[in-house]
Amino acid sequence: MITVLTTEEINEIRKVLGREPTAEELAMFEAQWSEHCSYKSSRRLLKLLPTKGKNVLIGPGRDAPAVEVFPGIAVIFKIESHNHPSAVDPYNGAATGIGGVVRDILTLGAKPIALLDMLYLGDPSDRRAQWLIKGIVRGISDYGNRIGVPTVAGDTWFDSSFNTQPLVNVACVGLIRVEDLLNSKPIPGDVILVAGNPTGRDGLLGSSFASKSLSDEPGRDIGAVQVADPLMEKVLIDSIVELVQKRVVKFIKDLGGGGLTTAVAETAADFGLGAEIFLDNLHLRAELTPLEMLVSESQERMMLVVDKQHLGKVLEVLGKYDVPSSVLGSFDSSGRIKVYFRGKLVADVPARELARPRDVYRVSRPPKELVELVSPVSSIPLVPVSKALRVLLSSPNIASKKWIYEQYDYEVGVRTVVKPGYGDAAVLRLDAEDVRGIAVKGDANPRYTSIDPFRGAANSVAECYRNLVSVGSTPVAFVDEPNAGNPERPEHFWYFEMMVKGVAWMAEELGVPIVGGKVSFYNEDSRGRQVKPTATIVGIGAVEDVRRVKTLDFKQEGSAVLLVGETFPEIGSTEYLARVHGLEVGEVPIPRPNQELRNASYVSKLVENDVALSIHDVSLGGLAVALAEMAILGDVGVDVSVEKVVCRGCTRIDEVLFSESQARYVVEVPQERVEVALNLAEALGVRVSVVGRTTSKKLFVVRANQQAVVEESLDELRDIYERNLSELLE
Amino acid sequence: MGLYRVVVVVSYKKGLKDPEAETIYRDLILKHGYRAVKELRIGKQFTLLVEAEDSEKASSYVRELCDKLMIYNPVIHDIEVTVYS
Repeated sequence: MITVLTTEEINEIRKVLGREPTAEELAMFEAQWSEHCSYKSSRRLLKLLPTKGKNVLIGPGRDAPAVEVFPGIAVIFKIESHNHPSAVDPYNGAATGIGGVVRDILTLGAKPIALLDMLYLGDPSDRRAQWLIKGIVRGISDYGNRIGVPTVAGDTWFDSSFNTQPLVNVACVGLIRVEDLLNSKPIPGDVILVAGNPTGRDGLLGSSFASKSLSDEPGRDIGAVQVADPLMEKVLIDSIVELVQKRVVKFIKDLGGGGLTTAVAETAADFGLGAEIFLDNLHLRAELTPLEMLVSESQERMMLVVDKQHLGKVLEVLGKYDVPSSVLGSFDSSGRIKVYFRGKLVADVPARELARPRDVYRVSRPPKELVELVSPVSSIPLVPVSKALRVLLSSPNIASKKWIYEQYDYEVGVRTVVKPGYGDAAVLRLDAEDVRGIAVKGDANPRYTSIDPFRGAANSVAECYRNLVSVGSTPVAFVDEPNAGNPERPEHFWYFEMMVKGVAWMAEELGVPIVGGKVSFYNEDSRGRQVKPTATIVGIGAVEDVRRVKTLDFKQEGSAVLLVGETFPEIGSTEYLARVHGLEVGEVPIPRPNQELRNASYVSKLVENDVALSIHDVSLGGLAVALAEMAILGDVGVDVSVEKVVCRGCTRIDEVLFSESQARYVVEVPQERVEVALNLAEALGVRVSVVGRTTSKKLFVVRANQQAVVEESLDELRDIYERNLSELLE
Repeated sequence: MGLYRVVVVVSYKKGLKDPEAETIYRDLILKHGYRAVKELRIGKQFTLLVEAEDSEKASSYVRELCDKLMIYNPVIHDIEVTVYS
């Protein structure tokens, strides 16, 4: 049999069992001890993440974490990656990614209310990359639309390193009353049910098991492919919400990676239980061997744990929604998982040892080429800023993502307060009558993390924090997803290690916990080169009153335009350096947690006191791009002077306009409130400068020494900003 | 040279789930009592009118087009190309 288990691991299994494993047992260990299920390479480092906080109801360990955003109201949110499936079958790969993360939310009984997609995609002008991009976006859109959950926010990046291996990170947000949270413990005697799609051969341990003994037709890689079935997901959602309301289910777990084996083993191990499983009862789509039943990863299936006396009611509800199910067995106190098929015991393994393999210590070493990558850039030629601005606005990383989000139903469910593209984060009402809401956003910068993974990952956290603050919310919690290369290669593993440390440090400094997450390894192209390592962060913020939420579009002429925070000559690793000068090198902008905290509390005060008309955080492309986006979206002209920008150590105009210094916001303040805003800044010790004003002319003007160095019509800038990505993809 | 009608059917490979077909089979066909139907698969059909020397050339021309333009995903789909003169 082909297996990805190492000789050491097989010996370890022999020791655990005290005998040779059966084929079924070996498959169970292979599934559960895979990197994907066991976190064996990453667990040691993940312990660095600050996971505790007063609002955290359930931290890492379950399928999804729970955070109390308002008294009595919990948000469940989770991030998931489907990078590898999406590289082979972009449509179904991305769609099943959505399916999986939605089910994670369901396991705590919450109703899913929003989806986010963080997509790090190839160069849109590359044919293969474009085929992947279109398939991925369509897969997310079709699945999300069909299950009736809006895709409200996300992050998109285009880079040729993702041409054959894209990163598809998806997140789901659910809401539930704290008292309804499904958080009880399974006990011996509780019944194990599998509900949802009949089990088939799809998703069998990926390619390592596509061997002759398993497949009818050898050589077929059906293992890696799972076809998405949103209709089944929809009835699963509806039936589980009803089961939870009726309080007849005790515990739910998704049948995801590792299938039945992982679901049963982890639950048994977590609660000190054993289980007896009778595979003859499992509802199937095709005739399967017991081994295949144990490790199949067929989608849209969940494990329900039910008190015996409620079994009838549970089956009744499932039947009402036409959700097929089977009663597989029950938990006991033995601590062992015993699997029977046709009256024969085919596997008998200790749950704890199966669920938790030993940590694997991975060597970590910075790659040699790093010295050149991180060396400060010097003597880049000066390009007319007007030209540079046009290049940046047309960059697919900055240009409007309309082509993507217009394929999504972002308004189903009527909770959406801020439309995609208009706010730094999405804002959703708790329900139609409530003025309270939540803000959500996902962020990453693959360029930063590929050059300086520590700083880059820290900056992802900070950017997510700023985005949540910009719309007027208070950041409550994050989940993270480091996407890295091959953990067995020290130069790849180093990126993972540094990204985790960067996330941990910044989250700790900002006082916002990382309540859960996911890890993705082996993101390499066919030649073994890792894609740009990427630390994706998704954050949740609490919005006290959605009527006070701020969008980024300029609202009126004659307002003062304030820059909050200090600018430094930080051109290294910026979009400007990459797009305008073709260089992806240089010092990544320094993470500045103290300034983040101070400036964020200032911006929050402006919102609270109703001083701000619009707010936008300064990130990719720097100040010039932030201002242009506000002007384009608001269709309000602006006139700013570079001399007004507080820029310590800057010697050139491009440093002022395109630096990606952290902890900065642009805020539009009505003329009559400027004094209030400036006094508040002084009181809080925040650097704020009035850099210009909005105008009645539909022009974007930047002045240096009174001379206009940029003078562009908004219509023209809008055309560049909105057309480019669509044109590349159509 | 002649004109050939080339029909391409793209469907999920056998062994893969076909959720749309399963739904139609279960909720339409079986529900209305057509129990003699034992299986249902769904595909997408393209009909092309192709100018070619002979039917074999017409077929290979269309096959090449399907591969190069990524009309289907060889990992999950089978294609069936039939030529009518």
